[in-house]
Amino acid sequence: MDPRRAETGKNSDQIQSGHVYHLALDIGGSLAKLVYFTKNDEHIVGSEKKKSPVKASGISNSSRNSPVLNGRLNFKKFETSKINDCLEFINSMKLHLGGCQQPESPGSQTITIKATGGGAYKYADLFKEKFGISLDKEDEMDCLVAGANFLLETIHQEAFTYMGNQKQFVWIDKNDLYPYLLVNIGSGVGMIKVEGDGKFERVSGTSIGGGTFWGLGKLLTKCKSFDELLDLSYRGNNRAVDMLVGDIYGGMDYSKIGLSSTTIASSFGRAISENKERDDYKPEDIARSLLRMISNNIGQISYLTALRFGLKRIFFGGFFIRRHPFTMDTLSVAVNFWSKGEAKAMFLQHEGFLGAVGAFMSSDKHGLKELLANQKVERPPSKLSFSLDQTQVPQQDGELNGDESIECSVYGA
Amino acid sequence: MAGLSEKPQALGIDQESAEANKNSSSNKKSVHNRLLEKDKEEGGQGGDMSPSAGSSIKRSGSRPQLDVSKAEIQGNVEEKYPTILLPNQSDDLSHLALDIGGSLIKLVYFSRHEDQSTDDKRKRSVKERLGLSNGNRRSFPILGGRLHFVKFETRKINECLDFINSKQLHRGGAESPYADGATDGNAIIKATGGGAYKYTDLFKERLGVSLDKEDEMDCLVAGANFLLKAIRHEAFTHMEGQKEFVQIDPNDLFPYLLVNIGSGVSMIKVDGDGKFERVSGTNVGGGTYWGLGRLLTKCKSFDELLELSQKGDNRTIDMLVGDIYGGLDYSKIGLSASTIASSFGKTISEKKELEDYRPEDISLSLLRMISYNIGQISYLNALRFGLKRIFFGGFFIRGHAYTMDTISFAVQFWSKGEAQAMFLRHEGFLGALGAFMSYEKHGLDDLMVHQLVERFPMGAPYTGGKIHGPPLGDLNEKISWMEKFLRKGTEITAPVPMTPAAGTTGLGGFDVPLSRGSSLRSDASALNVGVLHLVPTLDVFPLLEDPKTYEPNTIDLADPSELEYWFTILSEHLPDLVDKAVASEGRTDDAKRRGDAFARAFSAHLARLMEEPAAYGKLGLANLLEMREECLREFQFVDAYRSIKQRENEASLAVLPDLLMEIDSMDEETRLLTLIEGVLAANIFDWGSRACVDLYHKGTIIEIYRMSRNKMQRPWRVDDFDLFKERMLGTGDKKKPPHKRALLFVDNSGADIVLGMLPLARELLRRGTEVVLVANSLPALNDVTAMELPDIVAEAAKHCDTLRRAAEAGGLLVDAMINSSRSSKGKSSSVPLMVVENGCGSPCIDLRQVSSELAAAAKDADLIILEGMGRALHTNLNARFKCDALKLAMVKNQRLAEKLLKGNIYDCICKYEPAS
Repeated sequence: MDPRRAETGKNSDQIQSGHVYHLALDIGGSLAKLVYFTKNDEHIVGSEKKKSPVKASGISNSSRNSPVLNGRLNFKKFETSKINDCLEFINSMKLHLGGCQQPESPGSQTITIKATGGGAYKYADLFKEKFGISLDKEDEMDCLVAGANFLLETIHQEAFTYMGNQKQFVWIDKNDLYPYLLVNIGSGVGMIKVEGDGKFERVSGTSIGGGTFWGLGKLLTKCKSFDELLDLSYRGNNRAVDMLVGDIYGGMDYSKIGLSSTTIASSFGRAISENKERDDYKPEDIARSLLRMISNNIGQISYLTALRFGLKRIFFGGFFIRRHPFTMDTLSVAVNFWSKGEAKAMFLQHEGFLGAVGAFMSSDKHGLKELLANQKVERPPSKLSFSLDQTQVPQQDGELNGDESIECSVYGA
Repeated sequence: MAGLSEKPQALGIDQESAEANKNSSSNKKSVHNRLLEKDKEEGGQGGDMSPSAGSSIKRSGSRPQLDVSKAEIQGNVEEKYPTILLPNQSDDLSHLALDIGGSLIKLVYFSRHEDQSTDDKRKRSVKERLGLSNGNRRSFPILGGRLHFVKFETRKINECLDFINSKQLHRGGAESPYADGATDGNAIIKATGGGAYKYTDLFKERLGVSLDKEDEMDCLVAGANFLLKAIRHEAFTHMEGQKEFVQIDPNDLFPYLLVNIGSGVSMIKVDGDGKFERVSGTNVGGGTYWGLGRLLTKCKSFDELLELSQKGDNRTIDMLVGDIYGGLDYSKIGLSASTIASSFGKTISEKKELEDYRPEDISLSLLRMISYNIGQISYLNALRFGLKRIFFGGFFIRGHAYTMDTISFAVQFWSKGEAQAMFLRHEGFLGALGAFMSYEKHGLDDLMVHQLVERFPMGAPYTGGKIHGPPLGDLNEKISWMEKFLRKGTEITAPVPMTPAAGTTGLGGFDVPLSRGSSLRSDASALNVGVLHLVPTLDVFPLLEDPKTYEPNTIDLADPSELEYWFTILSEHLPDLVDKAVASEGRTDDAKRRGDAFARAFSAHLARLMEEPAAYGKLGLANLLEMREECLREFQFVDAYRSIKQRENEASLAVLPDLLMEIDSMDEETRLLTLIEGVLAANIFDWGSRACVDLYHKGTIIEIYRMSRNKMQRPWRVDDFDLFKERMLGTGDKKKPPHKRALLFVDNSGADIVLGMLPLARELLRRGTEVVLVANSLPALNDVTAMELPDIVAEAAKHCDTLRRAAEAGGLLVDAMINSSRSSKGKSSSVPLMVVENGCGSPCIDLRQVSSELAAAAKDADLIILEGMGRALHTNLNARFKCDALKLAMVKNQRLAEKLLKGNIYDCICKYEPAS
């Protein structure tokens, strides 16, 4: 056995072949995201939050004849540069025996997995060659929007705001959800105007995104991983690197135009005037400055774009955010600043997995959406329809192979 | 009274009304070098007088002084003085304003010259004739002068202080008699920029002046507003290495978005003068580029970093759409494979260290990231506030072609082609100019586009739009400087070739923009900023049908082959011109030295323009030809063709009586045709045409003239003669009344004027039409000037009564002046023949900027005759007028004949366009 798998498989060694019913992939430029379903009865143990397993019995009037399976929707990430780990993982799940497209013909070597993201194209041959898995490519944006729509419509506490360390869930009337702006911050940033299911348009974007943060960060610090860089930024102070309004106006505000002395006038602008080398700056400060620069910029362009198209809400998603409080805070501050308090940045609990969820949903046979929608109606809104299992996902470090999962039910294929 | 005839001292002194001046003749002591004080003192009494009685001219005290100064500023003598870098010139007053930034100090200063022109009687008489006698057709709030733009590096602030000191700019100019007097220590200079605070003490200590700090943004907006309103082609677009100047209607300027890219980026919505608001900005700006660039590369300067980007390939750094989609486009959402998906995104996945990446690639990637982002946010803001145009300025741009291209691309990309990024030629000087305008009386308020002429002094091609060196003294120093360049072999003769950058692809298939040809020198793309001559006496020619759409140049030099052709022509003609110029000054050693320097300077201008055709702004053939004349004047060649003109005038005048006799023997119809033929035939005498110069060696004037006339085979290439004849003579019984007044724009000296235009003028006079001969204010080639014409007319008048009486009536016969004015009532049978200057010193004419004298003369004119290649072909061939217009020229250039007329050399044009 691959020792690496043994190590990373800590959380997944419970996954038994035959229990994975469905899997979808989103292979991005930096991360590969997996969503898969495992049956409940033989599922991972030790999740304390698993108090109210979803009962599917209430849906007997469903039009479907398939049996309803209780289980969990699992989320997992890999670095794209370590795509082989991901392959190993999928292989280990013995998907050809599990819930994939051709369960009735296990002898067949063609296993099809729904996949999206650029890597679905790039790594198609690799999947085919190594394990005979063929990737059924779904359009990235379709998946993203489908994932977001699904999550926002069905999961009660999916959206939240984050300002000044305060996380606040926002209940959104699903009848009043559209149109909204979905800002997906991956390596780059896509901004999508969503007007309904399947009705959306990419209206803007920017090349300054997560890839820029990590790329520049990697060049400027000795960080070995995105998360390490993110972690650093939390401890840094951008004043050492950025030129503030106060630096220009001798510590004073430029009140005439409403800029306070602590407003960043120029990101990295202080690096101009000082005779310091790169090594003279603390990596923490550099990381912090980078993060603020990028978050700020995304927040600003998002707000301007939302304004342009008259969109009510801006949801930020994508792996860049990673529930990193400071990232969310900066984005929120930017939106708040540029909108003069009139708009708020919102985040999704499952940011990062929108595409994978969308790809997962793209195969209609499990009727997840219908099922969940029905369930939601039946359950009192005060209670969680789904429990989030985040025990393995520390807030800040966002360890790459950390799982999370949602309890749910699907129709057996 | 000497003093009275001079210009008032302060500039922009709108209180300097004629009234104020009248009683100020004794007020010589007014301390004009303490201008501000004076300004504070307030108005009416400000009219202190010019100091230099030596060069002043006698003029009756009752004549309001503004008159003369105005007339002469663009006038003859002033122009021969070099414009910039000359502390010894007779500036008698200056304003100075500074913008002290983190890396550059920008100076804007104003200088005004002594009125050294002589007052000739012709002018006086013309003014009387045309009702210009008080010269105040409108009250000029401003006086002529020059606005200079100079840059220094902030770290070399001492050079800047020396410069100011050597020119005594802080005291109102070097030659001012008061300059040596002790300043009272209270002199104040307007300044903006962060350094205005930082260097306050230094200025106090070194120059004894206080810096009066002006708000940065106020200055920026004031400067931009002024430039966009006052300079015709200030704004330009920049796409794929190509600059295109945009003419903006000053009445349709606002609201616009001004994006100032300094360390950070400010976006300002400008609604009008003094009406603006900072609506947005971004902290990702020039400081980010340079700051990150410094951390990522070993670059020592911003410029070095920028230069590096030129050779970069961002594909090694940026993650492109194609990298994600395995080389495929994401066509569904319109992203091509080469679109940047993530700036610096490629560095994520590779196991490379910083040192493994080329600094060039990093710099380019950074530049694109930042420029692109600024373009995007700017567009979104313009859209948000419904702003028509976006102007980008600030030190980040620095005329850098790639930066401008990237920003332009972003704006175009995001607006789907509906918006364009625009840039300003004077970017960098907005703040300094704004600070200048913050003087209570700066004189630029009411300046109009047509009153500004931009000239590029000798040094322009060498500085390449960059920082100026130490000030040069007199002409001798300038020549020495030129010689030094030659010795060092550092003369710019051609663009330095560089290996073309490997085709970088990027956002939306946007490749590294290449300049025309194949290489791009980053410093070459910087534009020069010339000296702005403020000439309040210039006017728009009132008979232009639509001044807004009028374009003087017929040939578009944007066509590279056209440009190259004319550059070759001018280069080839250069040795001959130098020879003429040196000969005109008696071939002294000094003249030879100046001649060499002129040749070098003009060649350098040409090379600079070949390298960057937009370097001096929008380039037309007229500008090129004028630049040659200006360059001659800069090296004090007043009139290179003086002796040739004289000789040819004499020779032609000698045969004039015979010609007039011949003409008078003809019937009306034949006569008119012969006269027009004569004009066309005589136009062959043109020293501006290589082909014709060769002809001169083959015969005498009258021989060539007759041969030429005999070869006139109708129909001409463009032949509206019958139409013109119908207007002049009528058909059958229907006779139209003669024209009231005809303006004849004349061309060359010698046969052209004497045997061609004068006989035609005589015919018009006979028919009762007033004739105004319009000639150059300053010499250009062998073109006849307004100064020379009265003598020629006087000589011709000896042989012809009609001319004599008309000339007398027009006050042209100097000796007979007193006589004629006394007895003019009795001899009023003749309509007048007058001469006015056109306000320019070029073989071509831009009718948007003519002398107020000409503009006044045009008032009653109902016929315009434009003659010669320069004025009727190179320029104005397609110009439309409010009155009848006749354009006559012989095409003395094969290429032009083919191109414009599909004809041949020596083809003729007789284009008649009746008033619509």
